[in-house]
Amino acid sequence: MAITRQELLVGGAAIVAGASVTTPFFRPRYRIKRCPARSRVAILHVEDYSRPIDELLFSGLRLFCINVQGKTVLLKPNLVDYIPGTALNTHHQLVVAAAEAFRHLGARNVVVGEGPGHQRDTQLVLSDSGYEGELKLHKIPFVDLNRDELTRTRLAASYTDLQYLWLPRTIFQADFIVSMPKVKTHHWSGVTLSMKNMFGVVPGNKYGWPKNILHWSGIQHSILDVCATVPIHFVIADAVMAMEGNGPLNGSPRPLCTVVLADDPVAADATCARVMGFEPDRIAHIHEASHFLGNSSPALIDQAAEALRVPEVPFQVVPEFRHICAI
Amino acid sequence: MNAEVRLLGIRQILAQKQLLSGGWPALTLSSQTVLEPTAYSMMALGSDLWDEHKRARRCLVRCQNPNGSWPAFIGDDDEGSWATALALIALRNYSENVPAQLKGFRWLLRSAGKESSLLWRWKFQTADRHARFDPNKFGWPWQPRTNSWVVPTAFAILALNQLSCTCDLEDSEQRIRRGIEMLLDRVCPGGGWNAGNGVVYGGALAPHPDDTAIALLALKNHSDEPVVPKSLEWLEGTATTLSAPWSLAWAVLALAAYSRNVRPLVGFLADLVGHIDIQDTATLAVVALALDFERSLILLAS
Repeated sequence: MAITRQELLVGGAAIVAGASVTTPFFRPRYRIKRCPARSRVAILHVEDYSRPIDELLFSGLRLFCINVQGKTVLLKPNLVDYIPGTALNTHHQLVVAAAEAFRHLGARNVVVGEGPGHQRDTQLVLSDSGYEGELKLHKIPFVDLNRDELTRTRLAASYTDLQYLWLPRTIFQADFIVSMPKVKTHHWSGVTLSMKNMFGVVPGNKYGWPKNILHWSGIQHSILDVCATVPIHFVIADAVMAMEGNGPLNGSPRPLCTVVLADDPVAADATCARVMGFEPDRIAHIHEASHFLGNSSPALIDQAAEALRVPEVPFQVVPEFRHICAI
Repeated sequence: MNAEVRLLGIRQILAQKQLLSGGWPALTLSSQTVLEPTAYSMMALGSDLWDEHKRARRCLVRCQNPNGSWPAFIGDDDEGSWATALALIALRNYSENVPAQLKGFRWLLRSAGKESSLLWRWKFQTADRHARFDPNKFGWPWQPRTNSWVVPTAFAILALNQLSCTCDLEDSEQRIRRGIEMLLDRVCPGGGWNAGNGVVYGGALAPHPDDTAIALLALKNHSDEPVVPKSLEWLEGTATTLSAPWSLAWAVLALAAYSRNVRPLVGFLADLVGHIDIQDTATLAVVALALDFERSLILLAS
């Protein structure tokens, strides 16, 4: 069967048009790749937040090859708001213990930085949640990332169409960024762990309270863009008292007596998800991040300290996220 | 320390913190001019700091965007921000700035929460009902292409209330009305306001003192609405427990606007700021406004 010149032209044009439409879907949306060959996670049993937590944390950190000698370490806890009786924020004792531990490991400066997502009065969150007195006592400086000086920063991934964000200078001055999330369920993103915790570096002074542009750009996609751009070097996740249900603000406390340490944020979040009774690959941002920001597969994670225990009853989630439960 | 002496001290600190641009940074160690602290600081300066005030005014006029809006900080993208309302309030009494102000008001009237568009209204009324709110009642966003939130809406209402003429801005009455409806719609079940909605996924959100105070200032002409006394009562009860100067200062301003006796709170605030090293310029300026609340309420009033 002979093909006419006209058929050839139409066919060629159709192939070109099809390729131009579909290519963007197959092109990687990230410009960096940070997956280590293997990741390391340690699960520590921590009964409560009383003083021995510093010793436990310090011995936990020694399970890792951490070099912070002479470096500036930024601890990024999750401080959203203050609601009495809730397990809303990363506990201040864990943050102080981490600061002391990194000082012992030779860090030149340890700074705590956060830009609360909901509450404009950062000082109120700090004082009511117990941070203010403890940070002062241990001479640990705090930077309000909502009000820090800003730098226009090109995003290292393009899951959203934001292309760039204005980000605080403190995160670029840090040599070693430690994400310290509170382990919680989240009604818009399923979970809020070390990667979602990085929304706190997006400044309220530019983007408002909450940082609504990230919601409109897609929460899961925004997590990927932010974490591609701001590297997390280490994770200390607070699951001593975690939160389930209608998180991140209105959930119920759930004790897990656990602190998760990791040298890879994807491995940390995958492990936390499993500890919560979830299947990490069903959580969109963890699944996608495992292609370029770290490892989620247990086969690529070296597990230290306690064994990973999956709960008989998964954490409660809002109905839209029941599909992430492993059971 | 006496509140007046403290006020003089804070004004001197503000004068020292003023940048070469004429504006103020958000934090002490920064050199970036940010609009929110600049607007509050300009309002907080007394008449004896006339030169500083004049430089601040020039700074505000200079950094206005071509579209009439103001950026969140100098160097920001030029699409505009919620700080436009603050700049308009700060510039209100200066006749030489009228053209800039009119441009700003026009931008403010064009700016609206994303839920105001027909498509998104339909979505929030049908498919996405987890946050309890009526999308027909919309106000102003923090920045373009996002939802309406309590604080930017309240400041936009305060700014538009200060319009002394229709000035070819016929939509202003309607937008103020919509904004008021939005604030009334988003109130927390027990009174007071959170950042935006009062209920999400069936759970009531706790009110914030500063958001509540700013919303109450915007609702000053609507004190007959049942949510106003309820929210005032909540704020009055909470104010005495506050240990953070920003929230306490806003509470003083709102309670004073509704003729509550704020003298004891002012005394407490003056003592409190003596014990805290405040790095945040906006907080320092709002404290100064609260310590001089009678004058400040005239600046904020319609």
